[in-house]
Amino acid sequence: MPGTHLEPASVAQRVSQELFSGAVVALGPGLPCYLPDALPDTSGVWFIADSGALGSKGGEAHGSAVDAGENSASLLSGGSFTGVVDVAGILRGGHTDIAVLQPSQVAANGDFVHWTSEETAGLFAPGSAVDMAYGAATVIAVMPHQYPGGRSNIVSQCSLPVDGAGRVNIIITDVSVIKVTAAGLELVETAPGWTAEEIIAITDAPLTVSSDLKGMTFNVPTLEPTNKVYSSAIEALSDVLEGSIINVDGFAGPGGMAHYLMVGLRDLGVKKLQLISNTAGVARVSAFGVPNIIDHSILVENNQVVKATASYPVSPSASRPSAFEEAYNRGETELEVVPQGTLAERLRSGGAGVAAFYTPTGAGTLLGEGKEARIIDGKDYILETGLRADFCIIRGYKADTLGNVVYKGTSRNFNPVMATAAEITVVEVDEIVEPGQLGPEEIVTPGLFVNRIVVRPADFSAYLEI
Amino acid sequence: MTSAPENSPGDPTKQGKLYSSALAALEGISNDATVLVAGFAGCGIPQKLLRGLAESGVSGLTLICQGAWIQEPGDFTVADLVGSGQVKKMISPMPFHPVHGGAVKEQWESGELEIEIVSQGVLAERLRAGGAGIGGVFLPSSSGTRFAEGKEVRQYDGCEHVLELALKADFALLRAQAADTLGNMVYDGTARNWNPTMAMAAGVTVVEVDAVHHPGGIDPELVITQAIFIDRLVLSD
Repeated sequence: MPGTHLEPASVAQRVSQELFSGAVVALGPGLPCYLPDALPDTSGVWFIADSGALGSKGGEAHGSAVDAGENSASLLSGGSFTGVVDVAGILRGGHTDIAVLQPSQVAANGDFVHWTSEETAGLFAPGSAVDMAYGAATVIAVMPHQYPGGRSNIVSQCSLPVDGAGRVNIIITDVSVIKVTAAGLELVETAPGWTAEEIIAITDAPLTVSSDLKGMTFNVPTLEPTNKVYSSAIEALSDVLEGSIINVDGFAGPGGMAHYLMVGLRDLGVKKLQLISNTAGVARVSAFGVPNIIDHSILVENNQVVKATASYPVSPSASRPSAFEEAYNRGETELEVVPQGTLAERLRSGGAGVAAFYTPTGAGTLLGEGKEARIIDGKDYILETGLRADFCIIRGYKADTLGNVVYKGTSRNFNPVMATAAEITVVEVDEIVEPGQLGPEEIVTPGLFVNRIVVRPADFSAYLEI
Repeated sequence: MTSAPENSPGDPTKQGKLYSSALAALEGISNDATVLVAGFAGCGIPQKLLRGLAESGVSGLTLICQGAWIQEPGDFTVADLVGSGQVKKMISPMPFHPVHGGAVKEQWESGELEIEIVSQGVLAERLRAGGAGIGGVFLPSSSGTRFAEGKEVRQYDGCEHVLELALKADFALLRAQAADTLGNMVYDGTARNWNPTMAMAAGVTVVEVDAVHHPGGIDPELVITQAIFIDRLVLSD
């Protein structure tokens, strides 16, 4: 007589052992929605509901909030709301560590079918499951081992059209844990009271039994938020390597520019940097009335810049060339000119997992040369590719310790989009506050995009001593 | 496009882009129109506008929406509009609940209603492309599935990407917590869902709002959907 079937809460406890501090975890409808309740609110794990709740948890509803399973949802302190298109970007753009889904079938090769049955085989409900399955580094299938009638949900080959080809990594059911390997399915854990033979008997797909077969346990790991607060610009940027690509925020004038981080980058002296930025440093030469303001020029003058990808790379005054122009004219730097909207769209694409896109901007001009041209619905487009950087330095107004950021006025500019398009995003702010002090509707850049936070020192001057 | 004068005195609900009824706000909608409908589960559904659409009697509609999964008693949702026989086609990532399918399931089974299933993130991206002037996007999701069938596939970064084309509609029916008379909008929680994206992707954008303020009544840092995307407003019941 086999053991009993685990309750959803126990399955969620077992799933929680797959998580880690700071993990971004996307939840599909059904059993995955039990997961936030398994962990304490302080775990530092970001649960993403495709309804638009970032940092969702169970419990009492926060206003009009639902989770992926359409249950009322609330938010952790530091959670925020966003729209479905930005959720799609979070899922697809490499920002999601783990997706937890409840497929109706998983096959031996990791194929899965989401929320489809024979009764409605022509119709199915992928929701965001496809985006989650293709975007997350790891996909966990959480499901009853069998249909209510006793048929296996784990099969040799899916009998219904698949929603993800070979995407599932681990299957956690109400009786077992199974790994999907290149050689097929491997039974690694059994629920209390169940033997490997009993599980094999109720599984349609072939199972090999791990030589290290264990009993399932339900202890919840102790997870804490990763510390994102750094003591100085230099500390926050110390691992920038020679040749790094760096997103540098800012529009033109002094607003919204991470001056303190720029000085840190200069003091570190790291060379051969490639900057992606709206300008290549014009604040000091243009008519903003502050010619000694810190901008990209301090890096150029320190011989640290070998390339800029920018929309306004030259000074508005021909008689007062920028440091970058002078370096370019001396043959020391490369330049890629990109229209501003295309620059923003390329960064957004890089951050949202869009490999390439057709834009009308620049079609038929020098900017379209060498790029694929295509007519869609009678209109001319050119193909542009997504853009990503190694590091990103941005300037916020306030951040909480989880990395949620708010901006002031047009200093918002490129910050939110650049923050999504780098491996390591570092934000410079006036003030750091506790989670919950920035409202969930107010947060512009969610903390899951931000890796490091530094406070601009009160005595820091954005002006060069001259 | 109409706009209210700045700092205009009096009742903001009588000004700017505000219409007196859902039916009036849907003026110009015709048979066979393509209509975006915001909402995720029971959250942020423009119920009054959907009732107005039913009242208008237009038929042959194509609805692009999350689906018709949840229906509380007394709610008026996409399922009711389908039930009234006005809908020819739905484009949706979650068209109906497998068990509680209602009118959508019945009409799909009888062949009266065509349903095109799309992945949620792909639908969102196609609408965003439509609203942002992008002709098409290469997305990683869906290679090797039915969603990729018949579509152009290219390799980027060693994995397959599928070309998805931009999507636009004739009308968008949205729901916001509050707007100013110019149409700047804020949302409540996950009621935000499809609204900001759909607002950009339709010829005429109509919003059902719970409260209307004078211009300046909404903090500029908190505006989620900007007035330039909004054509008409109507107060919710």
